[in-house]
Amino acid sequence: MTSYIREFLGMEKPKGYYTELASEIEKKDAEYHAFTTLNRKIIDCSDGSVPFTTKANICVKGIETTAGSKMLKGYLPPFDATVVERMLNDGKFSFLGETNMDEFGFGTFGLNTEVPARNAFDKDYVAGGSSSGAAVATAMLKYHVAISESTGGSIATPAALNGVVGFTPTYGAVSRYGLIDYANSLDKIGVMARSADDARMVFDIIKGKDEYDTTCAVEKINDEGKDKIYIIRELMEKTEPAIKKAFEKMVDGVGKSYEIKEVSMPILAEAIAPYYIIAMAEASTNLAKYTGYKYGLQYGEFNRRYNDFFTEARSNFGIEAKRRIILGTFIRSESVKDKYYTKALAVRRMIIKEMAKLLNDGFMLSPTLPIPTPRVSDAMKLTSVQNYAMDIFTIPPNLGGFPHITFPYDYMDGMPMGAQLITGHANDYALLDFVSEWEKGFQYKYKHNLGSL
Amino acid sequence: MEDREFERLLKITRLKLTEKEKETARKDIEEIIGYFDRIDKIKTTEKPAYQPTEIPTRLRKDEIVPFPDADALKKQSKLHDGYILGPKL
Repeated sequence: MTSYIREFLGMEKPKGYYTELASEIEKKDAEYHAFTTLNRKIIDCSDGSVPFTTKANICVKGIETTAGSKMLKGYLPPFDATVVERMLNDGKFSFLGETNMDEFGFGTFGLNTEVPARNAFDKDYVAGGSSSGAAVATAMLKYHVAISESTGGSIATPAALNGVVGFTPTYGAVSRYGLIDYANSLDKIGVMARSADDARMVFDIIKGKDEYDTTCAVEKINDEGKDKIYIIRELMEKTEPAIKKAFEKMVDGVGKSYEIKEVSMPILAEAIAPYYIIAMAEASTNLAKYTGYKYGLQYGEFNRRYNDFFTEARSNFGIEAKRRIILGTFIRSESVKDKYYTKALAVRRMIIKEMAKLLNDGFMLSPTLPIPTPRVSDAMKLTSVQNYAMDIFTIPPNLGGFPHITFPYDYMDGMPMGAQLITGHANDYALLDFVSEWEKGFQYKYKHNLGSL
Repeated sequence: MEDREFERLLKITRLKLTEKEKETARKDIEEIIGYFDRIDKIKTTEKPAYQPTEIPTRLRKDEIVPFPDADALKKQSKLHDGYILGPKL
């Protein structure tokens, strides 16, 4: 069992440890841009506790929380999100800062923001998104956990690209009170850590009912082990040969303990379109509330005409946000709503039913991404549709609200590769058990270990 | 997408794009909609799933609970006599 949290709590920290840590982070972060806010007050209040960070779309009282958008510049939440309150009340953790992200979560590679985070293994490569900073911070700091959030793969993708554990719980297992919404029927708060046991410890603190979030309705988390692992043929066909080869080698090893079955589920290769239709439809309604005078950005030109005021204020959205607002609004138009939005919701039910049937009997395992880590320069050349295609493995569990975990399984040219394991609704502990076992036979690598003792 | 439809969407979403941004955005949006059209080929008789899991209707008691720090909320905005200032109607 590997727990950096327990190790840290059991160690004597030298005087000035947190001051030194904050300085080290500041220096390193000038290159990697993992943090949007560094809480220097941690030095005064840490009391030997473990630093934790939150993605910049999770409200922390008095800390500028922008969700990576100019539209929320200057927004100081007057309250803590439930997950933050629970972490602070637990007593083992101190708030270290907020982490970088794609604007409102709109991105696969972490590039849709003013200053993108860079991969912790090599700055020329993407950090992954949208929880880019959470993954980079986890890969940089030895003793730290990150509270993160996923809509369509925003925990799994950056965790895989930075070689850390990324755990996305069942939809409705963790309260979202205080989360700045992207798409309400898809958003889930989860954890990134350097070990499955640390992710479990944090999950146990943040999960559970919350009267401020009626969708937080999962009663009990199970731990139902499986003896079969399913690999989906149609998804593997979309995978680049180098990734496929490394993944198959890993599966051969896992095959000693599990029965491996390749199965066909063609609908999963079609999950990208329904996912983006639902996500954009919901995002376009959520972003309607940013009007330049109530939250964050104060446009202030009150002498302007009503519509001109909003239009000018809303010009502060980034281009990907604008694209999604326009598309989401189009999709919800009366003339095409049934063709796109209602159909996507029906396809979602179809996907959930097919996946649930299979997951009742075994896990699903795949690479987390179909390609090796791209360079920033290459990722910037991708079209929107090419970008969306990178989410082929992460979308099915996110669309269906199924818990999933990504973990490092190999390194190619010095860059980590992640695999993704999925299980049925509310069987989250089984994933954490699987990765705990995996960690007994596989040593994770890190380039940085800030805060080592 | 026709010009008229694109302009209608910009108007109702209160978004302004430069001519260059419009050109790029339209091209992207058409490519994305073309991709979304794949959904037509999927045959299904399922009902829409508005949420991925079943969520029971569970409401809080209908009672007034004061917000712990209402003044902090007001500090976000420009105020006039305690009211949040907004654009004129």
